[in-house]
Amino acid sequence: MLNRRDFLTQSSLGLSSLALAMLLREESAGSSPRAIEVLHHPPKAKRVVQLFMAGAASHLDLWDHKPYLEKHHGKKSDFGEHVEAFQNGLGPWLKPQFEFKPYGHSQKMISEAVQPLGRHVDDITFIHNMVGKTGVHSQATYLQATGFQRPGFPGMGSWISYALGSINENLPTFVVLPDHRGFASNGPKNWGAAFLPASSQGTAIFPQRENPIEDLHARADFVNSTSDREGLNLLNRLNRNYQEERPQDSRLQARIRSYELAARMQLSAPEALDLSKEPKHILKLYGLDRMGSKYSKDINIPEETEYFGRKCLIARRLLERGVRFVQVWSGNDNSFPRRNWDSHENLKRDHGPLARGMAVGAAALIEDLKQRGMLDDTIVLWTTEFGRMPSSQGSTGRDHNPYVFTNWLCGGGVQGGLSYGPSDEWGYKPLDRSNPTQVYDVHATILHLLGIDHTRLTVRHNGIDRRLTDVHGHVLNDILT
Amino acid sequence: MPNFLSISHFPVPSRVQKIYWAVGAFLCLFPLSSLRSEEHFFEKKIAPLFQAHCLSCHNQDLSKGKYSLQNRRSALKSGVIVPGNAAKSELVDKITLKGGKASMPKDATPLKRHEVALIRKWIDAGAPWPKDLELKEAEVDDFNWWSYQGLRRPNIPTIKIPEGKTKWGRNPIDAFILRTLNENKLSPSKEADRRTLIRRLTFDLIGLPPSPEEVQAFIEDKSEKAYEHLVDRLLDSKHYGERWARHWLDVVKYADTCGYDKDKLRPNAWPYRDYVIDSFNRDKPYSRFIKEQVAGDVLFPGTPEGILGLGFIACGPWDFIGHVEVPESKIDGKVARNLDRDDMVSNVLNTFCSVTVQCARCHNHKFDPISQEHYYGLQSIFAAVDRADRVYDLGPEVKAQQSQLSQKLKANRQQLQQIESEMEKLSEGQLSSLRNQVNSLKSKISVKKSPKYGYHSQISKSQDAPKWVQVQLPKVTGISKVTLYPCHDEYAGIGGGFGFPVRFKVEISMDSKTWIPIFDHSKKDYPNPGLKPLVIKDIHSSVRWIRVSVSKLAERSSDYIFSLAEITVEDGQDKSLTANAKIQAKDSIEAPVRWAKKNLIDGHWPQPGDPSAQKRLTEATLKLEELRKKIETPERIAKRAQLQKSVQELEKQIQKLPKGKVVYAAATHFNQQGNFKPTKGQLRPIHVLHRGNIQQPGKPAQPGFIPLDKTIPWQLDKNLNEADRRAELAKWLTSKEHPLVWRSIVNRIWQYHFGEGIVSTPNDFGRMGAFPSHPELLDWLALEFRDQGQSFKKLHRLIVTSSTYRQSSKFDPKKHKIDSNNQFFWRMNRRRLQAEEIRDSILKVSGALNPEMGGPGFYLFKLEKTAHSPHYEYHKFDPRDEKSHRRSIYRFIVRSQPDPWMTTLDCADSSQSTPKRNETLTSLQALALLNNKFNLVMAERFSMRIQSEAKSLPEQVRRAVSLVIQRELSAKEIEELTQYTRSHGLKNLCRLLYNLSEFVYLD
Repeated sequence: MLNRRDFLTQSSLGLSSLALAMLLREESAGSSPRAIEVLHHPPKAKRVVQLFMAGAASHLDLWDHKPYLEKHHGKKSDFGEHVEAFQNGLGPWLKPQFEFKPYGHSQKMISEAVQPLGRHVDDITFIHNMVGKTGVHSQATYLQATGFQRPGFPGMGSWISYALGSINENLPTFVVLPDHRGFASNGPKNWGAAFLPASSQGTAIFPQRENPIEDLHARADFVNSTSDREGLNLLNRLNRNYQEERPQDSRLQARIRSYELAARMQLSAPEALDLSKEPKHILKLYGLDRMGSKYSKDINIPEETEYFGRKCLIARRLLERGVRFVQVWSGNDNSFPRRNWDSHENLKRDHGPLARGMAVGAAALIEDLKQRGMLDDTIVLWTTEFGRMPSSQGSTGRDHNPYVFTNWLCGGGVQGGLSYGPSDEWGYKPLDRSNPTQVYDVHATILHLLGIDHTRLTVRHNGIDRRLTDVHGHVLNDILT
Repeated sequence: MPNFLSISHFPVPSRVQKIYWAVGAFLCLFPLSSLRSEEHFFEKKIAPLFQAHCLSCHNQDLSKGKYSLQNRRSALKSGVIVPGNAAKSELVDKITLKGGKASMPKDATPLKRHEVALIRKWIDAGAPWPKDLELKEAEVDDFNWWSYQGLRRPNIPTIKIPEGKTKWGRNPIDAFILRTLNENKLSPSKEADRRTLIRRLTFDLIGLPPSPEEVQAFIEDKSEKAYEHLVDRLLDSKHYGERWARHWLDVVKYADTCGYDKDKLRPNAWPYRDYVIDSFNRDKPYSRFIKEQVAGDVLFPGTPEGILGLGFIACGPWDFIGHVEVPESKIDGKVARNLDRDDMVSNVLNTFCSVTVQCARCHNHKFDPISQEHYYGLQSIFAAVDRADRVYDLGPEVKAQQSQLSQKLKANRQQLQQIESEMEKLSEGQLSSLRNQVNSLKSKISVKKSPKYGYHSQISKSQDAPKWVQVQLPKVTGISKVTLYPCHDEYAGIGGGFGFPVRFKVEISMDSKTWIPIFDHSKKDYPNPGLKPLVIKDIHSSVRWIRVSVSKLAERSSDYIFSLAEITVEDGQDKSLTANAKIQAKDSIEAPVRWAKKNLIDGHWPQPGDPSAQKRLTEATLKLEELRKKIETPERIAKRAQLQKSVQELEKQIQKLPKGKVVYAAATHFNQQGNFKPTKGQLRPIHVLHRGNIQQPGKPAQPGFIPLDKTIPWQLDKNLNEADRRAELAKWLTSKEHPLVWRSIVNRIWQYHFGEGIVSTPNDFGRMGAFPSHPELLDWLALEFRDQGQSFKKLHRLIVTSSTYRQSSKFDPKKHKIDSNNQFFWRMNRRRLQAEEIRDSILKVSGALNPEMGGPGFYLFKLEKTAHSPHYEYHKFDPRDEKSHRRSIYRFIVRSQPDPWMTTLDCADSSQSTPKRNETLTSLQALALLNNKFNLVMAERFSMRIQSEAKSLPEQVRRAVSLVIQRELSAKEIEELTQYTRSHGLKNLCRLLYNLSEFVYLD
């Protein structure tokens, strides 16, 4: 980690170093402890929202237009080399399952399934040459979420919380909104703190549950607000007596403070989750104008829209109130019927509603952040664990493709209207196979935008200096403003 | 520091390649060049850069990009380096930063500007490179590090008891501690009061709070040995094992589920957990404990503990998808198995040796003397090992029966063999040659099948659950022939005839009301047909429905199913009639692509391979039969029949024996599950993997250990079998001279007592780890422990009876100034209770704790959807469930979804070795202790207990307080609490008390 002196001597920026240091420290006033006291360089963004499509969303049917597949649809697939498919999805070429159209000044081709995002393509950088390391969901999800293929490593949000602390201590620093149907592969391990302090773990919020945040309030008939208030006052007095007999143990002091913070969180968290005060036009924007409707048993667009839209709106409210990192999940585990992006059988049936629901929510989130002036310092990252094959599985599905897939970024410090790093003509591998983009590069870039040098955010654990980016990662300078 | 710059320089015969790891003093070889002024410029400045950044890929073996930097000849090849012209050298172009990126070294940190400048300078100067100098990837071979030095018994310092500290110095520990304190101008703190001591000891040794009565008795105990008696009582308590096993399970990553995708349950992990508890309670010598966990089955055959201990190797996460769903032949399958062995290797080396061996999976260890060869040597020890359930205890009776039956079986088989040998002799070798022919032909007949296997019913627990499937033709049609094609699935090793019904009928109908049977096998069993279709001809009826009704299902693996690959329906001209037909069934698992109703008429069914082989096989089989008939005699036939019958009978009896108790452990023999097949001891080939990449295997690895110095050989005989390899590893780990093992364990024990180790990095004694604060004390403890029976209880006694341990935790500003971290132990460290201690204490003081030991873990969640990906729903759990009112070590630990309450309180993450818990303070902890359902329910329980034990309100308050913190509060505090209770009731008081700092902190 960089200390203040290192920073001052290494800085070669126009601004007077000391003034810059002051500037960078400013935000930390009144917020929680942070591992990086002085940022490594001026940041472009303060917060991140990550949209994670669990099950592997198809780049070919959403973002990465391949006319070749339209032309050769149904013909025997030929990759020019031996391909090891995860299952057996090396059937004939399969054309995109939705129609593609150009949008915006950039004339970016995206599919009809994600059409609501068409109005934002000029704010988005698409990275079409992402490569993974495995076609196994669990490992691939870990890789995208934590930078390591195995369990036991902190999520990106945990690293960022650990590094930067919170902006508003009355709310958790890192909030996760899991799919309402259940967890994706690896469950909460995707956002665990692992060896970082427990304070940097993701706090899962389930807006639809009676208890959206576990333990926020006592649910017992003997507890009421007076017993709570008077009890806390008395507790603080007793704990203070204990602490005063043991001077210089800062933990005892901090513990008293943690109860004060908890009481404040009890007030701020429900307020942050309460959508009832949102005006009608905002609800409509997020597709929430028919909340609480009954939905058919089959997967359908209105239902997907409501659930994803609600998470996006809550994400905006949390970001607005100072939450540093919000992770929104779409898709649960691999049970049947499918409610995730793992479309082995029927891509159109599952991707259709999931993608449209996601796109309505994501487009609303971008628009809403923009109209509040927050898009300038908020990074929106859309990701998934890998892509899908250009060949068919069965006749309407696609198998796993860890060899290439798409991510996109939008907001704080990221260029818009850019398609970076093309994939090959089938969308099977990167066009330039020796220069792919990896998750390390995306992570390094996000840390960079937050003012952190990814090689200097390290924690020694069991004798190894751990980093979010392991020993890899290059900042994607080409996509930055 | 890594030893990039040290040299191993030796004269070698001319035909042997000379390998100099780095720079040597060999002036005679060094060419005169323009850099003469800077002697050995290449060796000192350039070679280390190549070694650190390039040689792991660009060496003679791998020659990535067809380029090697191993010697001058290869380096100058094809103009990558143009001597005298750096600007024209491709190398310079590749390593120079462009837009923050350099194309080499690939996917790694680029070289620094000044390093590139050095390389340019060297090329411009003609790229001088000593003719015979061969480079090799940087490797640390320096054992000059404290932890690799042999254990030496230090002299015990003579104690000068500080004035007024008459009680200081109870045993040699104090002498070592005091010497360092004195050297640092520090002095020890005075002894803590008795209430503090009994609280400290009780939590420390058994993980529970003392009762107010125990505290009182100890305070009043005037005997000289009062403290020692207390220590003995606690060490004899069965709760001791429960407390100390938890520390061990943190290190070895114990959990009750597999982790990764689906996170399947591991229902038989717990016997290992109980084994650890029992080992601590019985004070098992450490070397025995190690041996059982690494190779108990080999070193202590026939003992339950020899198998139970192997739960250690299987403790960590395991990737279900990568093993069961993906075959080992695929890359993902290989990756999963490589990572699986990595987990085993690191578990052993991290736990017993405190060495970060896993760093050498992708490259030579950057700091410690461990190369990739050493690392993969360790992987080869586990080359045949997987994780699975295995029997650890049959019970003596069953065991005796089993061995008796097995002996009979063996004898019968030998007799059968004898008959065959006789026949062989008579046939003059013809029999065996024919038999070989048959076998080789059989292997040629591999099944060809579509990925769409067919229709598959729901799985049933009983064999006679009725099932049916039917074809509905588009309209009533005249049919002539119906054919049923069996499935083929390797599941449970079944293969052909998978799921083919045992008793069933085939019926037809015009209206789906009246059914006419066309084939009836419902009274007797239909033998497994393999791939042979069942053809029902000459039907000649007009029908719309064809149904297969099953009354006895096929066995799968201890459950029952019905499956069929295809039903074809044809008319008199063999024209298929199933186009546009529909399939209905009683039930179906519908797991496409493999299993779906519609697969039943998709025109695909498994076919035997090479048909000509089939024909030749039939011929060869016939010949074989004929030849046998010629040689046979009636006596032999009778004898054989009798023996075969007896063999079958015996096998059945062995099958029927009780299965015994099972533990999830390291295993080589187990029931196949999907693609997860037992190795049966067959060693998987292990290679040194370039960058840890399974697709880039280097040379074969030779089994071995990590070297402990330059002279001791570290390789094992590569012909050793799987079991012997592990046995050798166990012996190596327990050798008296091992410099790491004994230090590692005493340091762990010390750390658990004091909150801080003598070495503060308990899992890393390497160069990235910390130095010991008291190296001589560490060695003394290690030797005492090693030579005095390796008894944990003796070691605890030694430590906790020391004056050092009995110090007060009181703060002292002067001493704090000298040693703010208390690394010299001038006082006791105050610590927060661990998650388990807090939970167990709440259970105990509330009166709910059920002290029952052992057995399957209790759930703290509601378990749902176990068939696919189990859901562990914590928020649906009711903490009133009495099954859960047991000590936390017995809870069922879910790897992917750890208990949120425990996690918030810094419980260990079971996916990583946790040698030391974090101790954090967050507002979420405050919320958990205030509002979690468990706390609230236990507040109610506690209030009930208080009501039954005290009458008046002030008495009740006093009683509650003394149960929670084992001391009295001031009159004012009691008054306030009583006041509060008067307004809000006892339950609220109890809830509040769980949140006292004094409850969760130990002085």
